Amino acid sequence: MTVASNVKQCLTTIRGIESQLSTLALNSLDNEAQAVFHDAAITIETIKKDLQYRVLELERQEPQYKGS
Amino acid sequence: MNGYLNIFFRSVIFILILFLITKVVGKKQISQLTFFEYVAGITIGSIAGEAVTGLEKNFLQGAFGILIFGFVTFLTDYFSLKSKKFRDIVEGSGTVIIKEGKLLEDNLKKEKYTIDNLLTLLRQKNVFNVADVEFAVLEPQGKLSVLLKKENRPLTPKDLKMKMPNEKEPYTIIMDGKIMDDALRWSGKSRGWLYTELEKMNATLDNVFLGQVDSYGELTLDLYDDKIKVPQPQQRPLLLASLKKTQADLEIFALSTECEKSKAMYQKNATLLQETIAKLEPYLSK
Repeated sequence: MTVASNVKQCLTTIRGIESQLSTLALNSLDNEAQAVFHDAAITIETIKKDLQYRVLELERQEPQYKGS
Repeated sequence: MNGYLNIFFRSVIFILILFLITKVVGKKQISQLTFFEYVAGITIGSIAGEAVTGLEKNFLQGAFGILIFGFVTFLTDYFSLKSKKFRDIVEGSGTVIIKEGKLLEDNLKKEKYTIDNLLTLLRQKNVFNVADVEFAVLEPQGKLSVLLKKENRPLTPKDLKMKMPNEKEPYTIIMDGKIMDDALRWSGKSRGWLYTELEKMNATLDNVFLGQVDSYGELTLDLYDDKIKVPQPQQRPLLLASLKKTQADLEIFALSTECEKSKAMYQKNATLLQETIAKLEPYLSK
């Protein structure tokens, strides 16, 4: 396991979390819960973007791990 | 034999009359909240019993009596809605028995309750010590309502300053293998969603005895076949676990990277995620 693959794994988990939060926001009946899930999904999205950028950087530094 | 036939017809007619009267007067009649409903309930029952089996009497007279009692109860209910004064006279108001932790003997005597009666009523409310009570009212229908002193009340999340998410009522959307379309609509879900969820849980519709959807849109099933294990909704606790894992991962990346810029980025996002977890935790934990 390299740093790049670890970060990529983390990024995948974050993607999963984001989609689950969006599903919960849609499925919840309580308005407050909907808002909380929605806000959390947006926060997670910003984290996801940072990580995506970092993955690109790592791939440039360690081209041999590209795509793994 | 003629007598039996007579009783049969009278019974059927009186059951219909009683049913109609309770429908007209409504739920209040059954809860017997006021003096009128209490008396009417007893009297109507006696008249009906008497008229059904008393073959020597004219049963129409019995029916007339019942209708009068039902009508008067209905009228008092109607006027009670209109006027507060009328309500006070007819329905009566509660009598304060304990105030600021002290027994009000005069009020107790006025209601002709003995201390033993009061202690019995308190015990029925699981209060064995009068000193625990801050305030108690004897309601018009003879029940005692008790407000305990703050320190004796059950602990609530509010006392612990815990923020609890509000939850909507669950809807029963499958009964006896049939989809309840009204409930499904109120829960904001569609049949398509339901079929997908059932497929996910590996259940067929006609094997489901009871299906309920909760505030988070999670479906809980009870199957006819109790040997089959149905997966319980686990999505939210799992989501919380993966959030925590990701947060820990970000901390580790922050520690292990040598690039200052990335370190700061990981650190920032780890904190951000920590805050999000704190906000989400009440909603995600079971």
